[in-house]
Amino acid sequence: MSVDTTEPTAEAATKRRRFVIPERFFTLQSYVALILVFLAAIVFSPRRGGEIVFLNSENLLNIVRAVSEIGILAIGMTFVILIAGIDLSVGAILGLAATGTASLLMVHDFGVAMTILIILTIGLAFGATQGYLSARLGIQAFIVTLAGLQVARGLARIWSGGQGIALAYGDGADVAPRAFSLLNSRTFNGTVPIPALIFAGVGVIALIVVRKSVFARHVYAIGGNERAARLSGIPVTRVKVTVFAISGLLAALAGIIHAGQLNQGSPNDGMGYELDAIAAVVIGGTSLMGGVGTVSGTLAGALLLGILNNILALNNIDSNVQLLIKGVIIVAAAGIQAFRSQQK
Amino acid sequence: MSRSTRSLAALCGTALLFTAACGTESDVPESAGGDASPEEGAECAGADGEYLIGMSQANVAEPYRQQMDDDIEAAAAEVGQFEVVFADAAQDNAKQVADVENFLTQGIDLLIISPNEAAPLTAVVERAYNEGIPVIVLDRKIEGDSYTQFIGADNTEIGRAAGEYVATQLLPDGGTVAELKGLPGSTPAQERADGFREGVAANPNIEIIAEGVGDWLREKGQSQFEAILQAQQSIDVVYAHNDPMAEGAYLAAQAAGRESEMAFIGIDALPIPSGGIKAVEEGRLSATFVYPTGGKEAIATAEQILVECADVDKEQILETELITQENAAEVYARNATQ
Repeated sequence: MSVDTTEPTAEAATKRRRFVIPERFFTLQSYVALILVFLAAIVFSPRRGGEIVFLNSENLLNIVRAVSEIGILAIGMTFVILIAGIDLSVGAILGLAATGTASLLMVHDFGVAMTILIILTIGLAFGATQGYLSARLGIQAFIVTLAGLQVARGLARIWSGGQGIALAYGDGADVAPRAFSLLNSRTFNGTVPIPALIFAGVGVIALIVVRKSVFARHVYAIGGNERAARLSGIPVTRVKVTVFAISGLLAALAGIIHAGQLNQGSPNDGMGYELDAIAAVVIGGTSLMGGVGTVSGTLAGALLLGILNNILALNNIDSNVQLLIKGVIIVAAAGIQAFRSQQK
Repeated sequence: MSRSTRSLAALCGTALLFTAACGTESDVPESAGGDASPEEGAECAGADGEYLIGMSQANVAEPYRQQMDDDIEAAAAEVGQFEVVFADAAQDNAKQVADVENFLTQGIDLLIISPNEAAPLTAVVERAYNEGIPVIVLDRKIEGDSYTQFIGADNTEIGRAAGEYVATQLLPDGGTVAELKGLPGSTPAQERADGFREGVAANPNIEIIAEGVGDWLREKGQSQFEAILQAQQSIDVVYAHNDPMAEGAYLAAQAAGRESEMAFIGIDALPIPSGGIKAVEEGRLSATFVYPTGGKEAIATAEQILVECADVDKEQILETELITQENAAEVYARNATQ
C-alpha cells in the first residue's frame, strides 16, 4: 500500500495505464452515488396529486432524523477506520449510554446537564480504554472492540436489571425533567427534528477538525504508514487513543439521542448499529486499509443509506429485499475502492 | 497542544448544540398535539372511498407475527376499498418509528400497529392519532390512550383456561405437572404462569413439581425438559407457555422413551404446518390454546371506522379456543390463510 499521508490528490502516479479512471472520480465517488440515489428516489417516488412525495420537506427531514444516530456513529468510525482500525463496540456503547441516560434521569433523579455530562464521560472513557489496549498492548482493534461490545452490553444489562427503562416526563422525583423530551421534538416551528440538528452540528465540527487540525493530519499519516509516522515523531499512541475516545464519545452522544427519541433506554438498543455505521463509512469511500477517506464522504454515505431506506419503504418494497439492495451497494462501493488501489 | 484544544472545542460545540436546542424551543410538543383532539370520522368517505391502510409489524421473524400479517392480508382482500401496505421493524424500535413516519408520508388513512415496545412507539403513534388518523393497536399496547382501538387477547385468561383443562379433563384425580416458562421478565410469561395457577387451584390434588425456563424456544424447551426428566420420576402433564417449547419437551421425552407417560399442552395454536394445531392433530400434543392474532378483527374494525363511519369500542379482548384432537383439523382449515 502506497498511500499518501495527506488528503488524496496525487494524480501523477496513475498515468502508467492506458485506461485510467481519473483519481478525482474516486474522491467524488460517494457524492456522485448520493446524487444518483437522490435522483433515482425522485424518479421512483410515489406521487400524490402531482406532488412528489419523496421531496416533501417533512419526508426529507424524517430521513435526516432517521440516519442521525447512525451518522454520528459513522463520523467517529471514520476516524477509527482512517487509522486502519475498526470499532465494533459503538452499537453496544449506544445501548449502554441509552440505558444509563434513562436510569440516571428516572431512577437517580439527575438533571439533564449532569446526566449528559456523565454519559458522555463514560463513552469517552470506554473508547479511550479500548484505544489504549489496542495501541499500547498491540491487540488488534477488531478483538479489543469485539470484547468491548460484550462488556458494554453486559454493563448495560447489569445497570438496568435486563429491562428497558421507560422515560416519563414531569416535575419532581421518579420522572425525567421535561427539557430532555426536546430530543423527541422539532424546532423552527416544529419542522426540524432536534436529532437531525445535532447530527448536522457534529458533522460540521468533524469537517472543520479534518480540514484544519494537526490531529487530523496525524490520523491520515498513521493510517497511511504507521511506522513512518512514528519515525517522524508523531505521537502514535496518543493519537490512536484519542481516535477511539472520539468514537466512544460520539457513540454515547448517539445513545443519549436514542433514549430521547424513543423515550426509553434499553440494554438491547443499538444492536447491529456498528455495521450500519461501517457501511456508511465504506460507501463514503473510506478505505478499510486506512489513510484514505473523508468525513464528508461518510456524511454522504449515511444520507445515501437513509434515502435508500426511505424510498424503498415509500414504495413498500419488502424489507428483506432492502437488505439485499444495501448489500449490493456496499460491495459496489468497496469494489470501486479496490479498483482505485490497483490503479496506483 | 492543538489536538487537545480541538477535542475540547468539539466537546463544547456539542454541549452548545444541546443548550441551543434547549433555548430555541419548548412550545412545540404542546402546540403540535396538545389541545387538537382528533376528528374521528371526519375523513370517513363511506363505501365509495378508497383506503390505504398501513400495517407496522414489530418483527415478522416470529411466526405468530407473520401469521398476524397474513390474517390481515387475507381479511383485507375481502374488502374492495382496502389496500394494505406492510412494514417490518425487525425488532428495532427506531426502525418502527421510521416505518410509521413513512406511512404518514405516504398518506395512509388508517394505521394498524403491533408495537415492538410501548414507550418508544408511543410518541409517533400519538402523532398519527393527532393528525386524525384512526389507529388500531394489536397485541401489545402503547402508553396513554392516543389510539382508536386496542385488540388483544388476555394471557391470564388463556393460562387459566389451560389450568382448568388440566384440573378437570387431564388430571381429574390429581397428579403432577411440569411447567416450561417463557422468557423471564416478559409479560405473557408472567401472565400465563399466574393464570395457570388460578386454573389448577380448583383441584387441590394437582402439584406443580418442576419449573423450567425455555425462553419461548423449542431448543431451550428440549434441553430444560431433559434436565427435568432426569430429576423427576413421575410427570403426568407438561404445561409449556407456548407450542414450540411443548414440542421441544416432547422431543426430550421421546429421546428418553417416556413420551407416552405424560400429556403435553401448549399455547398459541398457529394454523401453520409447524404450528401447534398440527402437533395436536398428529398426536404429539394433547391440547393447545389459540392465542388469536387479531388480524381479522383489525380489518373488521377498520371497516367499521372507514366504510361504515361507526364508532368503535376502545378495547376488544379476544377469546381463546381449546384445540384437541376432535377439532384440530376443523380449526386448522378455518384459521389457515394459505
